[in-house]
Amino acid sequence: MTQIESQVCTANAAQKYRTHLSLLLVVCIVLGCQENEVDYNTQIKPILNKHCISCHGGVKKKHNFSLMTRALALSDTDSEAPAIIPGDARHSPFIERLHSSDPEERMPLDAPPLSEEDIQLLTRWIDQGAQWGLHWAYQPLEPPSTSSPEPDALGLIALPTHTTPALAFIDQEIRSQLHSIGLDMNPRAEKGALLRRLSMDIIGLPPPTYLQEQYLRDDNPWTYAQLVDTLLAMPQYGEKWSSMWLDIARYADSKGFEKDQNRSIWTYRDYVIKSFNEDKPYDDFIIEQLAGDLLEDPSDEQMIATGFHRNTPTNDEGGSDNEEYRVRAIVDRVGTTWEGLMGTTMACVQCHGHPYDPFPHKDFYRSFAFLNNTRDADTGEDYPRFKLFDSLQINELNAIKQWIHKVSSAQRAKEIASFLKTTQPVIYSIETDALINADHYDTKYLGLRKDGSARIKGMDLTGKNRILTRLLTPRSGGVLNIYADSLNGLRIARVQLKNSNWTFWIEEIPIKEISGVRDIYLQYQNNTFNNKNYQGALFDWFYPTESFPGREHPEHNKYKNLFYKLLESEPDHTLVMIENPPDRHRMTHVFHRGNWLSKTEEVQPGVPSVLPPLSPSEEKPRLAFARWIVSKSNPLTARTLVNRIWEQLFGQGIVITTEDLGSQGALPTHPQVLDLLSYRWMHQYHWSIKQLIKTIVLTETYQQSAKNTRLKKERDPYNQYLSRGPRIRLSAEQIRDQALAISGLLSEKMYGPPVMPFQPPGLWQTPYNSQDWQESEGEDQYRRAVYTMVKRSSIYPQLETFDMSQRQVCVARRIRTNTPLQALITLNDPVFVEASRCLAQRMTQEGGDILADQINYAYKLGMGHPIDERKNQLLQNLYHKVYQEYASTSSDTIITPGAMALQTVANAILNLDELLNK
Amino acid sequence: MSTDPLKLLNELSLHRLSLSTRRNFLKTCGLSLGAMALTSMLSGCDNSNKTVSSGIDARDITNPLTPKAPHFAAKAKSVIYLHMAGAPSQFELFDYKPLLTKLHGQPCPPSLLQGKKFAFIRGTPLMLGAQSQFDRYGQSGTWLSDRIPYFTQVVDEVSFLRAVHTDQFNHAPAQLLMHTGSAQPGRPSIGSWATYGLGSENYNLPGFVVLTSGGVQPDAGKQIWGSGFLPSVYQGVQCRSKGDPVLYLSNPEGITRNIRRQAINAINEVNELTFEEFGDNETVSRIGQYEMAFRMQMSVPEVMNIKDEPDYIHEMYGTQVGKESFANNALLARKLVEKGVRFVQLFDWGWDSHGVDKFSALEVGMINKCRETDRAIAALLMDLKQRGLLEETLVVWGGEFGRTPMQENRNGVSQQYTGRDHHPDAFTMWMAGGGIKKGFSHGTTDEIGYEGISGKQSVYDIQATILNQLGFDHEAFTYNFQGRDFRLTDVQGTVIKDIIA
Repeated sequence: MTQIESQVCTANAAQKYRTHLSLLLVVCIVLGCQENEVDYNTQIKPILNKHCISCHGGVKKKHNFSLMTRALALSDTDSEAPAIIPGDARHSPFIERLHSSDPEERMPLDAPPLSEEDIQLLTRWIDQGAQWGLHWAYQPLEPPSTSSPEPDALGLIALPTHTTPALAFIDQEIRSQLHSIGLDMNPRAEKGALLRRLSMDIIGLPPPTYLQEQYLRDDNPWTYAQLVDTLLAMPQYGEKWSSMWLDIARYADSKGFEKDQNRSIWTYRDYVIKSFNEDKPYDDFIIEQLAGDLLEDPSDEQMIATGFHRNTPTNDEGGSDNEEYRVRAIVDRVGTTWEGLMGTTMACVQCHGHPYDPFPHKDFYRSFAFLNNTRDADTGEDYPRFKLFDSLQINELNAIKQWIHKVSSAQRAKEIASFLKTTQPVIYSIETDALINADHYDTKYLGLRKDGSARIKGMDLTGKNRILTRLLTPRSGGVLNIYADSLNGLRIARVQLKNSNWTFWIEEIPIKEISGVRDIYLQYQNNTFNNKNYQGALFDWFYPTESFPGREHPEHNKYKNLFYKLLESEPDHTLVMIENPPDRHRMTHVFHRGNWLSKTEEVQPGVPSVLPPLSPSEEKPRLAFARWIVSKSNPLTARTLVNRIWEQLFGQGIVITTEDLGSQGALPTHPQVLDLLSYRWMHQYHWSIKQLIKTIVLTETYQQSAKNTRLKKERDPYNQYLSRGPRIRLSAEQIRDQALAISGLLSEKMYGPPVMPFQPPGLWQTPYNSQDWQESEGEDQYRRAVYTMVKRSSIYPQLETFDMSQRQVCVARRIRTNTPLQALITLNDPVFVEASRCLAQRMTQEGGDILADQINYAYKLGMGHPIDERKNQLLQNLYHKVYQEYASTSSDTIITPGAMALQTVANAILNLDELLNK
Repeated sequence: MSTDPLKLLNELSLHRLSLSTRRNFLKTCGLSLGAMALTSMLSGCDNSNKTVSSGIDARDITNPLTPKAPHFAAKAKSVIYLHMAGAPSQFELFDYKPLLTKLHGQPCPPSLLQGKKFAFIRGTPLMLGAQSQFDRYGQSGTWLSDRIPYFTQVVDEVSFLRAVHTDQFNHAPAQLLMHTGSAQPGRPSIGSWATYGLGSENYNLPGFVVLTSGGVQPDAGKQIWGSGFLPSVYQGVQCRSKGDPVLYLSNPEGITRNIRRQAINAINEVNELTFEEFGDNETVSRIGQYEMAFRMQMSVPEVMNIKDEPDYIHEMYGTQVGKESFANNALLARKLVEKGVRFVQLFDWGWDSHGVDKFSALEVGMINKCRETDRAIAALLMDLKQRGLLEETLVVWGGEFGRTPMQENRNGVSQQYTGRDHHPDAFTMWMAGGGIKKGFSHGTTDEIGYEGISGKQSVYDIQATILNQLGFDHEAFTYNFQGRDFRLTDVQGTVIKDIIA
């Protein structure tokens, strides 16, 4: 406290050039460094990162000298002696060579020498023992020392006690830094402006009119905190905040590469919206998405959640290697998990050790190993899929389950139910090898020609007497033989295959009971073929199983038929994760220089040693990894999410690089605020995102007016010090949603398959893909942006132009741009033209009889407060000019000059800078 | 205690962050020569030439496409990149291999197949000689096939790269690699890098324009002209042959140009008041962007209209007004660079000659593709030359990989038509203009064109060379993202000095 006070005192005299000095002081106070003790993180690491580490770091270790860890730096170099001797800078070659006058000796080589100040610092640091420090983001989150047991009553969403002091602490922190550069916070924003900011931030829409009316009244019955609660409780909250998450999850409704076929995974998007609305604790939210399938008896919702990592692009291109694209998907999952959830850029570690942060090459593959055992394998059908049965089918499924439970066992009932929902675990036909007169057609299906054969390696047939297979048989007269161990081995089945007329069907093949893990050979024969190149059978998957239970029961056939009915049914589906069965377990190897074909050392799942260890657990590794990520000892997860929420509200994070909290990322501007919120969020708010948002928007910092001054522009140009309230261009989604909301067009319908609002014909030009943009009908034209079809190779133009991410990879931070193409959208896109027309109608119907009132009404719908008189006058002038122009040039009898003029004014309002910003 | 290190670090990170937002341009470009030149250039423009009452020029300093100087003097001011999507066969066009013709129909020796992966070839394929006739052309005496008769007349303008290789053998990732330096999605395309680094010479047109023909977009989708982690203002703007050339360029029914002018005036005047109130520089920028949108509504249809070109130009290119065709796009490319557009990219789809059907047959489909493009490509080079533009315009031609000297036998079955499989190890590209040697060949392949034996050049070398001609050291041309300095050429690439004049 005294330190902060003295900080404030110093600050009063501060001049503008002291910006960085003061930030340094703050950081030093935070990290508790003493006057004379050199601090590694704030003083030494920046010098090393800038001047040394590119040659003596995690990638290059020239002369066998690396500064990545203390142990490495103190070990012998190629000179057979260490370069750094702790406590003895004078005899440390590291320092000697900074001073050297020989250009071949002097470091840094071929670069200007270090400043005398830097050398002094390094010298003192070595003399003091050359201690390495842990980068701030990896340090544990400690309980804050600010709490005092005061109750608070801040509204409906009960924040835990001690929140008032937390708010005070945050504001005080912001203020003290502002004081240090001779600035202060702005006064609170005007009520109307604040209402709109809050509404845009929480529900992504202008404030509903009833809230405007009540909150802006002089005898306003609402407290600000109640207003926050009301907004947080609205279902539109989840629709707004899901966009942030869907960027991280790289959610899209198409597969990504080349043909870019549509993909059905929208229930995952709905899961995200629901989870935000339920305020699902973040730890559960993460565990479900990474490993919901591995939870005990997972619910449908928990299965659907695993779509998170099934959003990776897949490649249907003919001739593409499925294993290559499976590996790419896992690489992407490792990168997304680290970047999206833990603010760490792990992607570079695929090829070599991290150049700046303490993650050796192997760490990438240890993470990879957690995720390397899921069943998805770049198959054409995007397996595994989870069937979304309708209520009738669910009843049938339950009936089957109950009956099997009765005639067989609970275990068997569960297995069969799970198989019906997921069609897993099956062996994909592309896993076959030893092909003779056969091929993997389009790298998707095994095709056997006349006398063609293929092998399925290692099928566990213990206790099995059936093989189910999904296949297509375009010609009559085919016979399938199945042999064990070799083509000359024991024939375990021979079946006649029907002509299925180029459609897939499911065949149950009885087999001789043999036990053990065996190689299986399939052979196709057809005596009617006079050309050996005719395609006989095309296989999708194989599933060894037992015969349907309860043969002795009279109802056996009824339930077996029901089983096949559900198995062959093709309701909507979504993509999920399923773990490999033990006989399909994959080992993980380090890839030499990141090349998947060049496997080296085998690795086990594990976490980087710089972070807290994984708790020993009986659970599957992927689940254990998910639990570790959201364990309270993991310092990265909470900091990353809190920083992200802060970024959403203020336009930039406390650490501006939301994607990278590592040592190459930006330093936190307000580290104590980040840590206080992170700690409280985990321990007191129990990972509640609503409580976190509420805390932040209750600060005075957030409630400041957004007005800028010359002084503030000069001393705080990027608003990093938060000298004013946030003023940021609305997101792509908000711009659409706002226009629809103001014009009264917006549909409140939630959830469901993606919709296709109007876009000009011919934009989808994907090769080998006849799918088309099928314009949605009725209210589906006017749904919120989050429901718009995301086709990766052709993003909806309005959203793309306003910087929505392409959803190809995890995007932790969108970069906002300001372009003429954006102006063309809001001026001319038929969606905005229609919105303008409808807004004009509202203006005449609801806005009174006088033009000035009508303009004010429209403006208020968007802004939540009345329009400035001068602005109103400018828009009235526009009305009159357009009226005259149109009356004198157009002979249109349907649209009157008045209607055209008002519509133009309405469109102008939708294009105002104020409307496009929050 | 010393304050320097942290100060430095903070400055550094602020600097990097300012680069990653377009705000930087407010600060840095304000007084640049480019911006001043621009102001004078534009002074003759229509009634957008106005200064707002807040004292800030609305045609402003805030444009991220303001021209900027590269690292060193550039040989080329603009680039026209002709990508034949699907990967044309070098054996039917440029890589003359008499021995392969002799070996035609022989089974491929196992030594060529060992350790190789093919997209579609299975088992032992047959060798396939060129399906076209070769002869020598031009002063340079370059071997060329009879499929490109017009091109034979301009062969002395180009430098061939005969031993280019890639490491991707599927279309989408190979196209991504060629244009973004990574086979994974998410990186900026070369056109985005160029406009990021150089800005645009024309204030009324996008700096990076993409034109497609062949009915579909390239396999890798729109992301190969995407801006990746660069601000989206640098992404390629696709100009279309049907409907609005740029999406939503035309005003809705009933809104005349005059009404649009009035509306933008009103919007901008209100925004000036907003700027007075909040002092947000983005507001000023927005005023400028609305002005530019207004100008684009005129300038883009103008430049995209080929109707008024003289007959001899139509004759030369083989253009047909109103059609979506490669020839029309080639003519548009000339018009665009003439107007100062920095990077023009043409994608022509349909070169994937597998021989599985007529369309993809070397003896049918490919001949048609040659007919559709040959005349226009020759015309483009000649037209640029006669206008004195070829000197400062780099023209690049190529596919995403090459094709095999073996005949494709998809699924292990011989095919009705003749085709070749994907081949990443050796293929031909060419460059012309923009400081490239004339009538030159670099690199050779072995006697059956299977692998390069000299002058082997990677995709990164191509990229490094393009950037070099634009005045950039590809190793120093970086953008910091995720704590790392990214470059187009990743950690590779060497400028192909041999073909530089």
